[in-house]
Amino acid sequence: MTLRRRLAQTACRALLRMLPPEMQPWAHAVRHEVAQIPGDTAALFFGLDSLRGLAPYVVAPSRSSITGAACAVGAVALGAVYLNVAGAPIHYARVNAAALLIGLALLAFCAGAIRDPRRWAVVVTQITALSLLATAFFGDQVEGAARWLKFGSFALQPSLVLLPMTIVGFVIIRDWRATTGMLVIAAALALQPDRAMAGMLAASLAVLLALRRDRHVMAAFAGSVFAFGVTLLRPETLPPAPYVTGVLYVWSEVNAFAGLTVVSGSVLLLIPAITGMASSRGRRTVSAVHGASWLAAILAAALGNSPTPLVGYGASAVIGYVLSLAMLPPGGTPEAMRTS
Amino acid sequence: MGRNRALSGDARKILAALLAAGEEWSHGYELCRLTGTKSGTLYPLLIRLASQGFLEAEWQPPCAGGRPPRHAYRLTAAGVDLARNNPPDPVRAAAPRYREALP
Repeated sequence: MTLRRRLAQTACRALLRMLPPEMQPWAHAVRHEVAQIPGDTAALFFGLDSLRGLAPYVVAPSRSSITGAACAVGAVALGAVYLNVAGAPIHYARVNAAALLIGLALLAFCAGAIRDPRRWAVVVTQITALSLLATAFFGDQVEGAARWLKFGSFALQPSLVLLPMTIVGFVIIRDWRATTGMLVIAAALALQPDRAMAGMLAASLAVLLALRRDRHVMAAFAGSVFAFGVTLLRPETLPPAPYVTGVLYVWSEVNAFAGLTVVSGSVLLLIPAITGMASSRGRRTVSAVHGASWLAAILAAALGNSPTPLVGYGASAVIGYVLSLAMLPPGGTPEAMRTS
Repeated sequence: MGRNRALSGDARKILAALLAAGEEWSHGYELCRLTGTKSGTLYPLLIRLASQGFLEAEWQPPCAGGRPPRHAYRLTAAGVDLARNNPPDPVRAAAPRYREALP
């Protein structure tokens, strides 16, 4: 099978995932029609153009997701200003912009795919647990820390990509599978070790514990505190990375304008949580936990040698932030979003 | 796509192709080829025509083994009226590919 035929089929599968249930017959109609087209190029154009034409029927992301996506765009733009003022290589801003586009594409896809957050939350937790364990054992090591997976010349930090989304998922559903997944995640973060991400997990679960106390949260919180404790005991050996870590100190190192862009971009990351907490009682818990996770990431960047999310150079945080928006509930108090 | 709203050129061409097919069922790719319409334009139009009762759709079993079933379309009585009242734009209808589609 040629690459063009594969891409045509991928476009059809994307339609099937993204269109709402009442539109599924049309997605199947396109898929079966593509299968009938003899030419691979014609099939590819047919599939891609159908995807474009039917895009308006795709399940729309929630209002929180749209707000968050706008904030992500703003933060990455402010980060680009900082990188430029601070004299970073030009491709740093381009990599962040590319990561933003990838994240937004994934967000649009997830908006259609995650029609049942309860089912997906557990799947996301399991994927994250396996990914972080695999990274701890087989990931790329730098100064004794195994936090990255290499893709060619790029290194992705799976914890930063997947953990924020997983934390929001744990607010949506908490059962023994999700709790086991969270304990595995905590163990993996201790093994890597990743102090900032372990801190993000512990801080988010502390907020969740304060708002929704049950045995699942208590177990996961205990695991996260233990993991965070382990990372505190292990020495942080990673050297600072220019334009990635220490970005929040740009006030003194570059100028006040650069500092203002960095702080403004960081504050933007918390806007979806703030608006979510203010707008609806049904979204208060999930918004608070989402905000806590990113506040923890910002504080970790301010206090230690961890990446400054979105405003600093780093694709993982950009994708992770945008992906975490996919699990945020829409407005109101939908039944499916109530915690168990 | 109410009767009182002006239809787009693509909508008129697709209606004409379906009208020309009469009682025969048409398929998506075939309609694209006959009218020169892109699939991204065709399917939203078919969806709107079907939702407003101008078009009927059915799944047809595969003609040959190993082939998937196909979604097929033809005009309802209301759709036939709509097509007759909204013929294609004469300039666009003169396009070679479209003329071939006419009976």
